[in-house]
Amino acid sequence: MNSDYINIALADDDEDDRLFFTEAFEELKIKSKVLLFKDGIELMEYLNDSANTLPNLLFLDLNMPKKSGLECLKDIKATKRLSDMAIAIYSTSASEEDIENTFVKGANVYIKKPNDFEKLKKVLSEVVTTNWQYQTSGLNKDNFLLRL
Amino acid sequence: MPTPSSRYLRTAFVVGLFVILCIGGFTYKHISELSQTSKVVKDNYSLRSELELIISNLKDAEIGHRGFLLTHDSLFLNPYKESLQKITNNLSKLDTLIVPKGEQVEKLKELKGDIAQRFKNFDKSFSLANDDDTLLTQDLLFLLHEGEIRMDRIRADINEMLDLEQRLLTHNQEINEEKIGLTPLLFYGLLIVTLVILLLAYVKMTTDLKALKESNTELEIFEKLTKQSEIVSNTSTWVWYIEENIFEFSDNLYRLVGEEPQSFEPTLENFYKYVHEEDINNLGQQVNMMMREEELPFTSFRVVHKDGTIRYLKAYSKLMDDTEGDKKMFGVTIDTTNDVENYRIIEQRNQELERTNKELSAFNYVASHDLQEPLRKIQTFMSRLETKEKDHISESGQLYIQRMKSASARMRMLIEDLLQYSRTNTSEKEYVKTNINMLLEHAKTELLDSIEEKQAKIICDGLPTMEVISFQIQQLFINLISNSLKYSKEGVPPIIEITHEEVRSRDVDEINKSLYKFHHKITFKDNGIGFEQIYAEKIFLLFNRLHGKSEYSGTGIGLAICKKIVENHKGIIIADGKPNVGATFTIYLPFLK
Repeated sequence: MNSDYINIALADDDEDDRLFFTEAFEELKIKSKVLLFKDGIELMEYLNDSANTLPNLLFLDLNMPKKSGLECLKDIKATKRLSDMAIAIYSTSASEEDIENTFVKGANVYIKKPNDFEKLKKVLSEVVTTNWQYQTSGLNKDNFLLRL
Repeated sequence: MPTPSSRYLRTAFVVGLFVILCIGGFTYKHISELSQTSKVVKDNYSLRSELELIISNLKDAEIGHRGFLLTHDSLFLNPYKESLQKITNNLSKLDTLIVPKGEQVEKLKELKGDIAQRFKNFDKSFSLANDDDTLLTQDLLFLLHEGEIRMDRIRADINEMLDLEQRLLTHNQEINEEKIGLTPLLFYGLLIVTLVILLLAYVKMTTDLKALKESNTELEIFEKLTKQSEIVSNTSTWVWYIEENIFEFSDNLYRLVGEEPQSFEPTLENFYKYVHEEDINNLGQQVNMMMREEELPFTSFRVVHKDGTIRYLKAYSKLMDDTEGDKKMFGVTIDTTNDVENYRIIEQRNQELERTNKELSAFNYVASHDLQEPLRKIQTFMSRLETKEKDHISESGQLYIQRMKSASARMRMLIEDLLQYSRTNTSEKEYVKTNINMLLEHAKTELLDSIEEKQAKIICDGLPTMEVISFQIQQLFINLISNSLKYSKEGVPPIIEITHEEVRSRDVDEINKSLYKFHHKITFKDNGIGFEQIYAEKIFLLFNRLHGKSEYSGTGIGLAICKKIVENHKGIIIADGKPNVGATFTIYLPFLK
């Protein structure tokens, strides 16, 4: 695998959001490969196939048909091969319940989808440039929800 | 068990009877003594007359004796013999009349001796006279002398006896008079005591009778009221005399099973005929338990009326042992059909409410997620248009985009505020002991940007620790502070003063009817644009705004949320305003225990 590229995956059933996501990365000019999945089933099929390269960072929408983001998160953390993967929750809602649940299940950061494209770019670049391998140690519930 | 009053009555009766018997006995004894002394007095008189008779008889004998001596005619001997006979009778009578062992006995002995001597003398002179026809011989004269002396001694004896008897008589008469004097007093006393007792008994009986009548009337009223209240409240009572297995049903118990009062014999079997067949077994078991346990919880069962209507009854009973050891059970049976139906309705309504609540939270989700999502996309696409396509859009087009942007921003704000409002409505109310200073700090952090932008100063002299729903109180502080920041005077840095004190509820007009004794009073005072006092209540209404949208942005939800939060804590919030001087928000929160 070419280490110049950062492998990014997004599981989101919303077509518009996938569009914003890819456009943001295009404009950010970060050397990245973006993988897109329409739902949780598609995502898990890809991840569970050991022939595939694992993404460095997975953006996970919560509200998806067939298999929700929360279920995916649970499965990923239960699978040893996948458990080290950095996971950013990428959701429209920021309800206490969702934040609490995903934090407990081991997600690294919680992003509320911004309503401004520039803000989206800023958030994504922040998340991508954070080294989650080191960040995990200082993880706490107060800074789990990304505020910019 | 005898009541204290009946015990008192019994004691009084016994005492009265005792007193009367005592006095009666005493009187009887007295009267018998009186008749005794009367007899003594009578005897006394008889004795005297006997003694006098002896003298006269002796004289008769003397006369006869002298006649004979003079005439030697035996005719004169007849009175003499009669007198001798009479004197013997007299003496034997005296024997019975004198008090035995008295002084008189000795005297009588002497008298008898003297009389005997006298008659010996007579006899001697008779024999002398018979032997010798001479009239008065020397011997005879001597005998006559001796006879005279004897006679004197007899007189002396009799006189002594008479004197003694006179003394005895006087003494006895004195005693008799004394006793006779006491008799009327005793009779009178007896009469008075009896009368008093009779009077007391009469008074007591009349008062008792009056009280009895009164309590009887009360009982009658009570009985009527009980019957009335049984009908009105759908209850009934019954008594079960367990030893005899006899029941007494109140009228309304018959009505509860749909029958006319006292229309069937009150027995368990007859009652069971009305009990719903599914409930008979259970009720039977309960009845058996009733006999063993003194107190049991309510037993519920159904009864079926003749026309088929089913009613729900509930019975309660208590076992009582009276003083004679007879077991009795007092029971109450209540028709709870209405309660059961009401309970069902309430249950149904609760289910409906639950469903509505679920729908509401579903709506929350729709509002938070589904409504926000298209809005977010509209906003994002607009920001794409604004930057990416900027060169291709005309100036007026740019303006339209700006307008669209502010409209959608406002829509977002509305959605978020509404969500916040419904969250204060439906979230679980969990009161936790919280340091309120910490909540204020969190609120300040949340508002850091606008505080810095307005160069606002927030002064707080320290807040207490209270039992609150912490996120709500934090929201309250955020809303109040942001309200002050928003309505600050142009060019004047806002100053918000927060003070706290503990107040006694009855000292404050607004809360003097509160159930809680003490309240926390927290005041937020600012130096903003203020408001007219007439709007003081209106500003807490949902969607109510005092200013145009273009002047001050806002949804009219913020203060409504404040009010809701304070109400969730059983407190009140009051606004005071003065245009161009500032606004003061006072919050009273009770000490929750």
